[in-house]
Amino acid sequence: MVGKVEAVNGGVKPTTTTPASSETPADLAPPAFSFRALKLKTKQQELLIRVTILCLVYVLAFIARLFSVLRYESMIHEFDPYFNYRTTLYLTQKGFYEFWNWFDSESWYPLGRIIGGTLYPGLMVTAALIYWTLRFLRFAVHIREVCVLTAPFFASNTTLVAYFFGKELWDSGAGLVAAALIAICPGYISRSVAGSYDNEAVAIFALLLTFYLFVKAVNMGSLAWALASAFGYFYMVSAWGGYVFIINLIPLYVLVLLITGRYSMRLYVAYNCMYVLGMLLAMQIRFVGFQHVQSGEHMAAMGVFFLMQVFYFLDWVKYLLNDSKLFQAFLRITVTCAVVVGAVALGVGTASGYISPWTGRFYSLLDPTYAKDHIPIIASVSEHQPTAWSSFMFDFHILLFLFPAGLYFCFKRLTDATIFIVMYGLTSMYFAGVMVRLILVATPAVCLISAVAVSATIKNLTQLLRAKNKAAGPGKGATSVKASSKASLDQSLPFQRNGAIALLVGAFYLLSRYATHCTWVTSEAYSSPSIVLAARGAYGNRVIFDDYREAYFWLRQNTPSDAKVMSWWDYGYQITAMGNRTVIVDNNTWNNTHIATVGRAMSSYEDEAYEIMRSLDVDYVLVVFGGVTGYSSDDINKFLWMVRIGGGVFPVIKEPDYLVNGEYRVDKGAAPKMLNCLM
Amino acid sequence: MAPKSETLTSDPATDSIDPILHILRLVPYAFLRPPRLRLKLPSLTLPSPMTTYSLTLLTYFMVVSGIVYDVIVEPPGIGSTQDRATGAVRPVVFLPGRVNGQYIIEGLSSGFMFVLGGTGIVLMDLALDRNRARSVKVSFASAGVSFVVIAYVMSMLFIRIKIPAYLR
Repeated sequence: MVGKVEAVNGGVKPTTTTPASSETPADLAPPAFSFRALKLKTKQQELLIRVTILCLVYVLAFIARLFSVLRYESMIHEFDPYFNYRTTLYLTQKGFYEFWNWFDSESWYPLGRIIGGTLYPGLMVTAALIYWTLRFLRFAVHIREVCVLTAPFFASNTTLVAYFFGKELWDSGAGLVAAALIAICPGYISRSVAGSYDNEAVAIFALLLTFYLFVKAVNMGSLAWALASAFGYFYMVSAWGGYVFIINLIPLYVLVLLITGRYSMRLYVAYNCMYVLGMLLAMQIRFVGFQHVQSGEHMAAMGVFFLMQVFYFLDWVKYLLNDSKLFQAFLRITVTCAVVVGAVALGVGTASGYISPWTGRFYSLLDPTYAKDHIPIIASVSEHQPTAWSSFMFDFHILLFLFPAGLYFCFKRLTDATIFIVMYGLTSMYFAGVMVRLILVATPAVCLISAVAVSATIKNLTQLLRAKNKAAGPGKGATSVKASSKASLDQSLPFQRNGAIALLVGAFYLLSRYATHCTWVTSEAYSSPSIVLAARGAYGNRVIFDDYREAYFWLRQNTPSDAKVMSWWDYGYQITAMGNRTVIVDNNTWNNTHIATVGRAMSSYEDEAYEIMRSLDVDYVLVVFGGVTGYSSDDINKFLWMVRIGGGVFPVIKEPDYLVNGEYRVDKGAAPKMLNCLM
Repeated sequence: MAPKSETLTSDPATDSIDPILHILRLVPYAFLRPPRLRLKLPSLTLPSPMTTYSLTLLTYFMVVSGIVYDVIVEPPGIGSTQDRATGAVRPVVFLPGRVNGQYIIEGLSSGFMFVLGGTGIVLMDLALDRNRARSVKVSFASAGVSFVVIAYVMSMLFIRIKIPAYLR
């Protein structure tokens, strides 16, 4: 039993490892009320400490994400959340059937967009349910407030799931540390701050929940837990496209268990139930459709499913046959046949086109150089750049040291659960190295493994401390045995106890530095709404630019309601949500040719651009220019991407035309094509 | 299924009802005799957990040093800047200005610091193993503590050089 009190937000507290002995100051008690009634047993004390810590961590996770709400106002940040907000608004106003069958003619003019079939509804449905529940309880909230605060609420729930997962993996001490670490880890905060109403806000909760339920099912072998994990998987599929990670990691985990000889009935029950039910449930989402049987990315799960059946069959035959040699021959033949049949089926499926190959987005994770050469639109997104060491340090701090130590402890005590977390950690760290955005997916694994390291190290140190306290213990057999064996060593390491105290203080110092770092990073780097900008003026005063919202409001007030606005795809969602006007292209980027048309219009000479714009019925053009204020991510900076994407489809646009000696200039000495183009 | 036999006159072969066995007995193996080979399939054994752990540590070092960034963006090993006054070229170790950018050498040295810190904690745990000599335990413990301290101090120094506004 280790009752731990974790350093919270800069405070440094020593552990309380003394066993239960609550004093009863009966002599001080007033006669009417005796403190003797409050005397708690050890187990109750431990429960109280654990519940208190969890409540504090829950509240901490929520309030750490509220910086931007306090500094600016409660508004939606960035670009993608505006689309999610608009769809949630539509859902609460018109109801679920209208939402599910919605065809939107206000974006991607003149093509329109089938919104019902091309989004992941989990986030919107969750927020709408919370909104309806609060309304039912007669709280008159606006849907925008619910949307803004959905992400911190689900981050708090994630800390609870992390506690249970840590308890499953190691022990309850590790669970508490994991909850505390994940509550403030900047890698998670970056995408779940209040106002960041994006899919990842609920997706990370669903991811961790699915993994926890599956590991619990494998440990217990119970059908009920496997069913729960299937429903957790359904929630994840409805929430985010990153569910492909789950449907590939779990089969890989099962394969590793099979290879290391840990096949068991529990694994069979858990995986089969989860795969079949999860697949059927996932097909209910229109956006996913039949991909689970048709797409190359999901074939690993199916292959492992069949392999499990082969294992079960072999086990049954082994039970029937009592002859070992006969069984060996049978085993070899069956395994060879199964592998050959599987390979042939995969080959036929891929060759006939029924099984589609890996899509570019996920293929570029396996081969990072693919996107740079072939798909400029994926390569242009700043979140998709590979990760440098400083991004890791920024988002993880101390956890980068604790991660390899935690891996060591997991390898020392290999169980089904620790094998899972090791695999999750390693695969997610590799993907985090490929793409900055995926640091988010690695964060729960890193926090859990680091929690194992912290818990094991502190347990070692406190055991050193307690080695001499033979008399005070409440008679735990193991402790006294260790005490007697340590007693013989105590003479040889005279400063052992002081050393242990010093190391404990050092450990808590490091954890408090982690908390300070996380708070600083959250406050400085991850709480900016991106739609409202702040800068220091000439006299050191803070200047706030609300230009984006003012521009969209101007569009809303001063243009006819059927006006079409052309802009670069970054701003599409915001224009439709706030300006309420039809746009030509937006952030969904589902049609590369349409975007290339806009890119071509922006980079052609004005007369050619006019022809293109007339053909698209464009009335207004929106561009962002940051030259006056020194804002550096404006359209001039993004212009070369417009050229590259336009040139990818229309070879008439060539990038070297816009460069001077290979250098991009925008002043008087710029290339003539650059000076005369629409931009 | 009865085991296949190669000699023509053994009883299990003639008792078998397998048609392919009878065909094979007649067509090639009536006049061909398979040679006696002493080949054995190599047996694959799984590596021990600690071997796997060391491989994992190596992979972790490479990933966290930003090797994917190095391969795709191809930054120089070390940057250079020209001194305005003297015109001499001075090396720049840390790529200034951005959080998500690095030179190769700075990535590798930071990755090494992280792995050093992890190894320090592992050494501290190894020092508590009761089955070692006392001197080995003491050296493990002191090495572990010094590794962790060095790794933490150096990492803080690196991040402060890279991002001048850190924690201010």
